[in-house]
Amino acid sequence: MARTRTTKKLAQRIDLNYFKRPTPLKRAKFWLSLALPLLALIWITWRGFSGDHRVYSSGRMSKAHAVLEKDCAACHLRTAGAFSAKTADAACLDCHDGPIHHAEQIYAPNCTTCHIEHRGRISLVATSNASCAQCHARLLTRSGNLPLWAHIRSFEDGHPQFAALRSVGDARASDPGTIKLNHAIHMKPIRRGPNGPNVHLECGNCHRSTAAKADLTFADEKYRAATVSYKDSDEFLPVRAESLKPPRSETGRELMAPVKFANACTACHLLTFDRRFDFGVPHDKAEVIHAFLVRTFGEYIAAHAGEVRVQRDPGRDLTGKPITPEFRTLTPAQWVIDRTAVAEDLLWRKTCKQCHTLSFSPKSSRGKIELSVSQGNDSDTLASVSGELPKVAPANISLQWMPHAKFDHGAHDGFTCVSCHAKAMTSTESSDVLLPGIETCKKCHAPGPDHAESRCFECHTYHDWSKRKEVTPKFTLPALGTGGR
Amino acid sequence: MRMDRTQRGWALASLAVVAISGVAYTVYTLESPQGPRGGSTVGLMFGVIGFGFMIVAALLGARKRVPTWRIGRAQAWMRGHLWLGFLALPMILFHGGFHFGGTLTRVLMWLLIVTVFSGVFGAALQHYIPQVMTSDVPLETIYDEISRVRSLLREEADRSIELLCGNLGLSKHSNEEGQRAGGFTALRTIAASAVPLRTSAAVSAGASAAVAAAPEIILLSEEESAPLCRFYLGEMRPFLEGRKQGGQRLADAAKAGSAFAGLRTLLPAPAHSTLTDLEDICDEARQLTRQERLHRWLHGWLLLHIPLSLALILLGAIHAVMALRY
Repeated sequence: MARTRTTKKLAQRIDLNYFKRPTPLKRAKFWLSLALPLLALIWITWRGFSGDHRVYSSGRMSKAHAVLEKDCAACHLRTAGAFSAKTADAACLDCHDGPIHHAEQIYAPNCTTCHIEHRGRISLVATSNASCAQCHARLLTRSGNLPLWAHIRSFEDGHPQFAALRSVGDARASDPGTIKLNHAIHMKPIRRGPNGPNVHLECGNCHRSTAAKADLTFADEKYRAATVSYKDSDEFLPVRAESLKPPRSETGRELMAPVKFANACTACHLLTFDRRFDFGVPHDKAEVIHAFLVRTFGEYIAAHAGEVRVQRDPGRDLTGKPITPEFRTLTPAQWVIDRTAVAEDLLWRKTCKQCHTLSFSPKSSRGKIELSVSQGNDSDTLASVSGELPKVAPANISLQWMPHAKFDHGAHDGFTCVSCHAKAMTSTESSDVLLPGIETCKKCHAPGPDHAESRCFECHTYHDWSKRKEVTPKFTLPALGTGGR
Repeated sequence: MRMDRTQRGWALASLAVVAISGVAYTVYTLESPQGPRGGSTVGLMFGVIGFGFMIVAALLGARKRVPTWRIGRAQAWMRGHLWLGFLALPMILFHGGFHFGGTLTRVLMWLLIVTVFSGVFGAALQHYIPQVMTSDVPLETIYDEISRVRSLLREEADRSIELLCGNLGLSKHSNEEGQRAGGFTALRTIAASAVPLRTSAAVSAGASAAVAAAPEIILLSEEESAPLCRFYLGEMRPFLEGRKQGGQRLADAAKAGSAFAGLRTLLPAPAHSTLTDLEDICDEARQLTRQERLHRWLHGWLLLHIPLSLALILLGAIHAVMALRY
């Protein structure tokens, strides 16, 4: 007997009302379709009734504003009982002042144009390049005067070479400093040093950031402890970027500390002036040095009266000058004048001139020192020891090379100096600008996850904080989180 | 719905929409100092379009509930549901600038992602499973009636075994067998005749004339029928009842074939035709089990897809109102 199926018999097995009966699958589908939207509705209603409006927030607040996360009304002002979607600048200005960027600017964006909230725990300072490019891509000014670089879209697109490296006309960029320093020679092994042969200087022997402890390998305590009559302004150009500094404390590692003679040069560059003395002249103005020499020689001759009889040194017979007798007997005052002149000749024409730019002119200040030289019971008044003193040009050392941007040496601690300042190894002229070019920065600072930040805010500050106004605080601690002020 | 060449028009149109939207989004992102934001004009436009796509996709459910609606063909609705539902995801991602935002928007984003991907998963299942169903389950029946057909198969097997082995107290058909919509069940007639249904091969081949062979009643002795009774009561009946017992040989076609071959060697030749019927019943029951499993795959994803999409539409509407109002 074979079991057979006909369509009719198969159809007869089916209850024609089967679709009216719920199956477990249909039943589950129905109840879930009812329960899940209902749950969603209950959840949103419950959040509404509990007064927690964070559910409607478009994202987490920035790090600085995280404390306001529950307090929508702090920024979204209530109008007719409802929050406004847009935040008014007034809400920001209640706590922060936002000084203008530039007197010449023709457009002042709203706070929220650049500082975008509800993007998670970001830094609000990290604005997009597009925020700056709104104006700088096609720069317009009130006066109509435009800089050459009026089309900057980003660090990669349109940013000019750093100002300090830009040539002006035919004149190449040059260091305004007047100290004659040959970096190339200093970076090569030096045959003789203060502590032995074959000194190999490193950048850090002279250059350290302000906050770092100075390297005193080549320092001299006497010079470090000495007081000087010249001021910092005689040595360094002023830092001019006060107006564009961010309103936050600095680490002191941003800029390099000025290189001081007392810290970095004295060990090799001795300011000796006479073989009778094992110390040098002060590192000071010419007038101070002149007075020092007169006083030192005066004190010496008072203690060594026999030295007023002077034997001619054939080695110092100079062409064009009259040859002195074999032996001369000088008064103490004449001896001091004579020795001072010789010492100053050495200093002005060799020792000082090696690094400083000196200028002699008839109008140069002349030292006039009253000095009493005692020799036994005789008293000889040195009425006047005077000479032509040179004028030392201000050193004009630049501490900050980018006045409109901020650079932090401390953030670049991990890199060797010459990896950026490669020119220091070969520079022979003090007028060489050893600031690395923009291309060096672009090696690391570029868009993309494999590179360091390259957006405008990394180096530039928008608000002119020198024009900052103080604000009156509005919040009290207990009121935060409850919507109160 | 099969994903074949007939979908090409929708696929190309969707690709074009994504491409145009992508270009518009890129331009908008580059030109906007604040970056992409849902509240900007372009952001809102993407949001409205995305939510519109979701609504249209959700209307398929309404269309199915009222099949008499004369608004477009069911096939067009299904294609629209598939492609517009899929397009809602990129539109909403463009709307939010690929940010998930706050609590509500994050919930919405995840609801959308899970809904869309469960839909894609379902579409893939609906493409492949019907082919598997056709090849693996030629005796497919209506899913909702599987349990009933299974009980009918068991009763048919009970009757067959009692004809051969004598009364085992199994042959009782349920009262539910009574009047069914539109007539009587096939097995009611069979049960009344108390003989297995027999028709010629010609009938099953579609010939018009059915030849009913005379019933041949064979009653085995207790000793002869013992192996069959043990097999039927111990293995086959629990299998037909759908009880989950470990090591069911009959669930596997090859093992079931071996079991029945073994029984044939133990039973006299006149009982072999009944054995063939029992083997056939087992095969049909096995196919129904397979059909149940495939059906669960084919429709199970809807337990996730439909409730989530309804929650998405509801919360999306709340988000739209709150965002536009405030």
